[in-house]
Amino acid sequence: MKKVLNIAILATATVIGASAAHADNGDTLKEVKARGALNCPGHTGSYLGFAEVDDKGVWNGLDIDLCRAMATATLGSPDKLKVIPLSWAQRWPSLQSGDVDIIIKASGGTFSRDTELGFQFSNSYYLGTTKVMAHKELGLTSMKDADGGTICIPAGASQERQVASYAEKLGIELETVAIEKTEELEDAYFSGRCDLYAQWGPVLAIARSVSKNPDDHVLLPDVLAVEPEVMISRQGDDNWVDISNWVLSVLLFAEQEGVTSHNVDEMKANPPTNEIAKMLGAQPGFGKPLGLEDDWGYNVIKNVGNYSEIFERNLGQDSPYKMPREMTALWNNGGVLFPLVID
Amino acid sequence: MTQAALIQQHSFLNRVRRYYFSGARSTLLSLICFAFLAWLIWTLIDWGIMRATFDASARQPECDANGGACWSVIANRWRLIMFGLYPYEEQWRSALACLAVVVTMVLSCLPAFWTGRRLAATWFLGFATFFILMKGGILGLPLVREEQWGGLSLTLFIFTGTAVIGMPLAICLALLRSSEMPWIARTTGAVIDAVRSLPLISILFTFAIVLPFMLPGFLIGEKLYRVICGSALFFAAYQSEIIRGGMQGVAKGQDEAAKALGISYRHRVSRILLPQAFRNALPATINQFVITFMETSLVVIVGFFDLLASGNAAYGTGEWTFAFVEVYVFVAAIYFIFVFGLSRYGGYLERRMSVDQR
Repeated sequence: MKKVLNIAILATATVIGASAAHADNGDTLKEVKARGALNCPGHTGSYLGFAEVDDKGVWNGLDIDLCRAMATATLGSPDKLKVIPLSWAQRWPSLQSGDVDIIIKASGGTFSRDTELGFQFSNSYYLGTTKVMAHKELGLTSMKDADGGTICIPAGASQERQVASYAEKLGIELETVAIEKTEELEDAYFSGRCDLYAQWGPVLAIARSVSKNPDDHVLLPDVLAVEPEVMISRQGDDNWVDISNWVLSVLLFAEQEGVTSHNVDEMKANPPTNEIAKMLGAQPGFGKPLGLEDDWGYNVIKNVGNYSEIFERNLGQDSPYKMPREMTALWNNGGVLFPLVID
Repeated sequence: MTQAALIQQHSFLNRVRRYYFSGARSTLLSLICFAFLAWLIWTLIDWGIMRATFDASARQPECDANGGACWSVIANRWRLIMFGLYPYEEQWRSALACLAVVVTMVLSCLPAFWTGRRLAATWFLGFATFFILMKGGILGLPLVREEQWGGLSLTLFIFTGTAVIGMPLAICLALLRSSEMPWIARTTGAVIDAVRSLPLISILFTFAIVLPFMLPGFLIGEKLYRVICGSALFFAAYQSEIIRGGMQGVAKGQDEAAKALGISYRHRVSRILLPQAFRNALPATINQFVITFMETSLVVIVGFFDLLASGNAAYGTGEWTFAFVEVYVFVAAIYFIFVFGLSRYGGYLERRMSVDQR
């Protein structure tokens, strides 16, 4: 039923996309400025660490903070962000119809989203991996040792296929238990019905960290698949895609150079390098070519923080999840993220 | 003790003996069932009350230590569950709006309000109150747009909106389908069958997301109202068939006799046909209302923060992920209150109408 619905929705989105892709997609920045608010997707419910709601109904999370950075860059204030709750199925039609200005919703860049749906991507802001968790008492060191084990996987998601092909590659036999609802799925694993649990990396790490005894579970080193999560815009608005790329670059460059929300004022007053001076608007020329204010980089870092601050607040050490950066670190810390060059 | 009471008690004990302990086999079965029931109830009480944590400042370690339900999650997150993303400082408005809808629903269930004019006035006042409170923008209330509505008030609004638009539509469809002009009857039949052959989710999705691509700008309106229209159409398609079923139970002779007496179509329908049709169709109608109330939770698919979605958001944070059962129990209790109330009311109506019938 869900699959049929998804196919129907994808078909609708494709039809709409095909007719909308070559139509005038307008100037998203102009629309956003006229509206005075940036429309960004939230979640129907919550997606731990990426989009969740606090006691007072305020949205938080990595994706939400990236939206805040976009809102600050374009409109000067993180409060100009308007979060619109979207289900997974709804995100593509909503972007096409202009209900949201950009999709930042733990969504990967794929060929069909690029071509059939008519979208464009920013650089990757997060490398999502499919990983496997195991009960520690089994003494597994990698998936190779798991021959004959039982594995819990989310039903109807891409993990089903990834687990099957990875097991085939290793030449091991696994018994799969596919469950659709995440709570049930995790219950099945933690109650011992499955030896292993395959899931999108962050969800897995969070499930482990909030479980009763995190130390009873290990994340195996195997990476079954990678999905670069990207910010997604409508095709045909190059400047908007540029803005999303440069917002991400500023967050990463600030981290690389040690510019944080705490020292940004000082950095702007006495910039150590020309690049930092330009990024923070101490020298002119960083805003105008994009249609933004010259000090938008300063505003973003001041109000939202650099990438490291965003990560630690939502997923890392300052959050309940305590996730390590791993592959999502900067290139000089063993990760895959890098800023573009500010010249 | 009076004799009557004695007889009653006697007969009660007799009945218990006759129904549950009439032979060895039924005694055994009864004992097993009672033991199971007692165990179930005890487990629930033990989990939900005895070993439960009620302290709002408690978190996972304290709750785990007590071993029972962790109602602290409700204490901390109930406003999110009840009001969704409605602005925090304005949530009293959402609460009052909820109350207005409930009062309207209760009032219109009272027989004293069953005249066209009174019903219309009640609903108009009820909706106006709800709307002014929820949306604001006048009387010094800050504007809160529909996309920020959520929780119980949104669920109630979608349900009542669906019922208020859907019911008249259902009556129209039922009358059109039983029209004597074949092409009207057939066209209506085709429309009803078409709507019924589509899943509700796809109708909601179409109304919320696909329709704006096709309609001219001035017809698009707010997503919330489009979704209510879609849901009302779905409701009407099913309800019209229920009413038609009720109409078929009214003897054909009555209509013919009324015609022979020269009574107008309007009066034949409103005074003879529909009252009896509704009485025949009452159980199925209540059933349809209950289903519709449950189905409001499907609006999450088009991005609304209804009661269930707010519930998901309530446990969807690092602190509370372990407490999803408590949140679901809380949400289920709210659904239960409304649906159980509806069913009881249906039972009352049936008793009341069968008195008339005698």
